Amino acid sequence: MAVEAISKTPARIGLEVRDLVRRYSADVVVGPISFAVNEGEFFSVLGPSGCGKTTLLRCIAGFERVDSGAIALGGARIEDVPPHKRGIGLVFQTPALFPHLTVAQNVAFGLETHKIERRKARQRVGAILALVGLSEYGERMPNQLSGGQQQRVALARSLVLEPPLLLLDEPLSSLDLKLRVQMREELRSLQRRLRKTTIFVTHDQTEALALSDRIAVLSQGRIEQVGTPEEIYRTPTSRFVADFIGNSNLLEAEILGIDNGVAKLRTRTGLRFTTHKTAAGVSGRRVTLLIRPERMQIGAGASNGANADNTFAATLTDVTYLGEDIQYRLLVGGVETLLYTCKAAGAGGGLALHQNLSVHIDPSDVFVIAD
Amino acid sequence: MLFLLACLAIPLCNVVMLSFYRHSANRIWVPQFTLDNYQALSGIYFISLGLRTLKVGVITTCFCILLGYPVAYYFARAGRRALVFGMFVLFMPLMVSAVVGAFGWIVILGRNGILNSALKALHFDFQVQILYSEIAVVIALVNLLLPMMVLPLMASIEKIPRRLEEVAVNLGASPLLTFWRVVIPLSMPGLISGSLLCFTIAISAVVTPRLLGGNGSRMIGTEIYEQVVTAYNWPFASSLAVVLVAIIVFTLFVSFAAERGRRQRAVRERR
Repeated sequence: MAVEAISKTPARIGLEVRDLVRRYSADVVVGPISFAVNEGEFFSVLGPSGCGKTTLLRCIAGFERVDSGAIALGGARIEDVPPHKRGIGLVFQTPALFPHLTVAQNVAFGLETHKIERRKARQRVGAILALVGLSEYGERMPNQLSGGQQQRVALARSLVLEPPLLLLDEPLSSLDLKLRVQMREELRSLQRRLRKTTIFVTHDQTEALALSDRIAVLSQGRIEQVGTPEEIYRTPTSRFVADFIGNSNLLEAEILGIDNGVAKLRTRTGLRFTTHKTAAGVSGRRVTLLIRPERMQIGAGASNGANADNTFAATLTDVTYLGEDIQYRLLVGGVETLLYTCKAAGAGGGLALHQNLSVHIDPSDVFVIAD
Repeated sequence: MLFLLACLAIPLCNVVMLSFYRHSANRIWVPQFTLDNYQALSGIYFISLGLRTLKVGVITTCFCILLGYPVAYYFARAGRRALVFGMFVLFMPLMVSAVVGAFGWIVILGRNGILNSALKALHFDFQVQILYSEIAVVIALVNLLLPMMVLPLMASIEKIPRRLEEVAVNLGASPLLTFWRVVIPLSMPGLISGSLLCFTIAISAVVTPRLLGGNGSRMIGTEIYEQVVTAYNWPFASSLAVVLVAIIVFTLFVSFAAERGRRQRAVRERR
């Protein structure tokens, strides 16, 4: 069918960044960095503070000079276009509403600078305020709105111009937890409805995992990995990503041998692991093992199958109650301390301190990261 | 506080009282109530004197705004080092007395002054005659009063988050439009107090117009000085002083009313 055919055409590129470098005096803050965001995609840039993610966003918005490299929006180079002519929407951490203008005047600001006719402008302001659920608030002043409402006005103020690209610079971080979760969902459904190409910058992995079509993990100005939230979480390609996203047990190990897609490894502390997830590796190579704390299996009592693959005797050394989850610290094989998490209400909920246990990790849950 | 108030009120009351006394050629004043001093003000000479004073005040304030805004903006947004240097340059005219400042302008603007010498050296076959005119007075007053405008403006602009300007630019406003639509409206309190300072100090100036203004550009301040020192007509000088104070009080009142109106309008818009 024709409809099928259209949806199967390769996604068009909304924004492309190629070899972008930004320096402050001699220090490279960003880059060289290259990535492409598809049209209509929700693309997150995730990284710890100081990793250059905000600088990257400011380069795209035009508030930072680009030292070298190219930025293309819909195929057209924009790195030399002054910021007020780029037409890229940007929502900051704080709502930054104009305090001397009403909500409606705030939203209309961009329409005025673009010389949209007054009557049309009023219609568009009304429509966008309705979209963010603030129809009744047009005549209010910004300081009469709550933080969440203000941030929605800021979003409306950008969206009303129908920008080809929307940049969000941690727009939820100024809100408190409950509101943040609610706004996160609103943001996601709004983006799904409008199919607006969006780049979302955040240091909050939960936000990035929850919202994104794809995530780029940034560290020290460079991209560590680009992938879907699941790829990033399940198969991190670097130690940094594995450590940064979620809780993780990272063990330094050496590949002993690879046979038929099954690798045998030995950690520095002497534990032997088997895995199916062999990244390209050769015997003798030093690698990092990743075991997610929630992917471990615990058996009560000392292990009976101590000889089976990836099964170890363990002692419970610490318990942290996290409400929904419970986190245990296990001394595995007498040498290695691993984190284990499970649902507090589940089977593993009632383990006692110093209890002797057996730990099993499925070979497909042991990941090898070649640094 | 009460002492300060007394220091202000007693001389002022004295001046008001004096302005209703009769002038006497040999005793300076005699304590007889009269309105002569105020009636004399209605003469064409003093009307034009008042208007000229207001004109100089308004023009000086306008130039202070025009020059002060970019300077204040630059300092408010510049780094620490530029700020320290800029403040020093800006405060130079305040550190020397108005007499010395005015003398400096005489040296520059005089018939054989630096400006005309420069014009001659550059082979222009015209000379400018601005010393002893209102132009010279305005130039010197702007020079003197610019800090009065820059300081409150700077304080206001500093409080405007830079992010608001970035938002405006991101929404398609050119830097100039951003300045017009964001920086100016949000620095209104600084603009009002700066203008107030410039205007009131300018219309009560004495030394600058007296040294640089010549006979054709007397102002109320210089006239009071003449009446006190030369004509010995203290009652009339007092009536002039009362008028000057009245103008200043009126200006303050209007600008406060404007500021209050602005706030109330903002409150009304919120409802």
